[in-house]
Amino acid sequence: MFKILIVEDDIQLVRLLEKHLHKFNFDTKSIENFETVKAQFEQYDPHLVLLDVNLPKFDGYYWCRQIRTISTCPILFISARDSKMDQVMALENGADDYITKPFDYEIVTAKINSQLRRAYGPYAHSNNERMVIVSGLKLDLERLLLSLEDQTIDLSLTEAKILDELMKKAEKVVSRDRLLEKIWDDQAFVDDNTLNVYVTRVRKKLALLQIHDAIETIRGQGYRFMPNWETKK
Amino acid sequence: MKLFIRDQLPLLFLYFVQLFVVTSIYWLDGYHHLTISLYAIFLSTCLLIAYLCYRYWTNRSFYQRLEKPLTSMEDFTSELQRSPLSESLHQLLISQFDHYKRDLHNYKYKLEDHVQFIHQWVHQMKTPISVIHLIIQDEDDVRFRAIGDELDRLKKGLEMVLYTARLDLFEHDFYVETIQLEKMVRSVTSSQKRLFIRKHVFPSIEIPENLTIATDEKWLSFVLTQLITNAVKYTIHENRKVYFRGLKQGRHIILEIQDEGVGIPESDLPRVFEPYFTGENGRHFQESTGMGLHLAKQICEKLGHRIEIESKVGQGTMVRILF
Repeated sequence: MFKILIVEDDIQLVRLLEKHLHKFNFDTKSIENFETVKAQFEQYDPHLVLLDVNLPKFDGYYWCRQIRTISTCPILFISARDSKMDQVMALENGADDYITKPFDYEIVTAKINSQLRRAYGPYAHSNNERMVIVSGLKLDLERLLLSLEDQTIDLSLTEAKILDELMKKAEKVVSRDRLLEKIWDDQAFVDDNTLNVYVTRVRKKLALLQIHDAIETIRGQGYRFMPNWETKK
Repeated sequence: MKLFIRDQLPLLFLYFVQLFVVTSIYWLDGYHHLTISLYAIFLSTCLLIAYLCYRYWTNRSFYQRLEKPLTSMEDFTSELQRSPLSESLHQLLISQFDHYKRDLHNYKYKLEDHVQFIHQWVHQMKTPISVIHLIIQDEDDVRFRAIGDELDRLKKGLEMVLYTARLDLFEHDFYVETIQLEKMVRSVTSSQKRLFIRKHVFPSIEIPENLTIATDEKWLSFVLTQLITNAVKYTIHENRKVYFRGLKQGRHIILEIQDEGVGIPESDLPRVFEPYFTGENGRHFQESTGMGLHLAKQICEKLGHRIEIESKVGQGTMVRILF
């Protein structure tokens, strides 16, 4: 299990980050005494450090340099300052990457995973991969596979994203807006029609696993994923 | 020279009146030697001229200083000749200059302090915003969505404050690189995806991949965000598009951002880049600060880009940036 040290003075933010990282099987520790960051680092010996720039006593740059004297582990800065100069400063002080506030959970996990992969090898993170399981239906977000019992089918990235959202909130309505937001990425964006097309495709993929009518359309609101296949069996 | 002569005119006048009075008194008393009198007048006039010449010579820089308009603050302190008048003028100017300088510095420091404070404050506000952002991120409920929308407004407001404060220190804070226009537009539209989705307006990007521009990414992103916010805000019908087109025209690379919104009345059009100008549309839509386009224009000017706007009421608005 990877250990992550969180050096951030906002308790709420730390709590949310820890909760999120625990979901991905990371072990975390947060700093409470900001005068002995280096000693706590040595004691905990983390695989990666999340470091805020504005800290009481000494700033993040200082601690980054301190940590660099004893370790080469990945250090990710978290800061509200977004100018090029600040980012250059961070990198010059020994940081590996930079996350600007406010940020999404996805950004944090993506950057952490990519740093861990770079530092500890491509297979090192295999214990953190994401699976969503609803009534035996398994969605593997790393490999884009969907399986029920012994049957497995491939998904496209967008289909996987839609299913991820629907399955995580199984039996609850997921709004169209939210789905649109989730599947919109830098490369291709979607409008209302493309979302319809994708949902139809997901339904077809589910039909290959003998799951029918699991995605209900709620008019004017969105979609609802109902695990209805067990009752059939 | 002119000033000197003007300055000495009363003296000359007094001198000739005196000469006249003295000679008349002698004349009336019975002294009738014309040549001697003229000789005396000649001698005394020569003395006067010599005096005036000496006077002008010693004070010439003083008069020149008074006659020549100042071109800069530093002119104040250039050296003068040693004569009582010019020296005291010199002292006066120097002390005045010092006072002004001290005052100006005071204000400059205050202004810098203020900008510093704003920076600090905006950055501190980003932590609570991050916390709220994370709390609501996994929620899909009407209330949380509403909070999310308000949060986006807060974020935009803070950005606006930050960029306005930064604008004065622009020279210390920009970094020009070669950037792919298409990539940049995609990343800015993606960062505004919530805005697009909420209003059911969608971007359409037609920019050749090989178009590159030299600009500061952060500042231009801010400009594009302002333009996109406007384009989406003033599109009142659903399922319309905002078109982003990139083209090359001669030496210029042009980015067009065209919406199908309400458009801007012709009478307002010449003034949209003025600060705090909200115009007709500002009265019908919420939260028009009148600063968005103004800032966009100022930033474009500093970056060396040109920004133009065209609009027809009911048909939409097109903003063009020429790189």
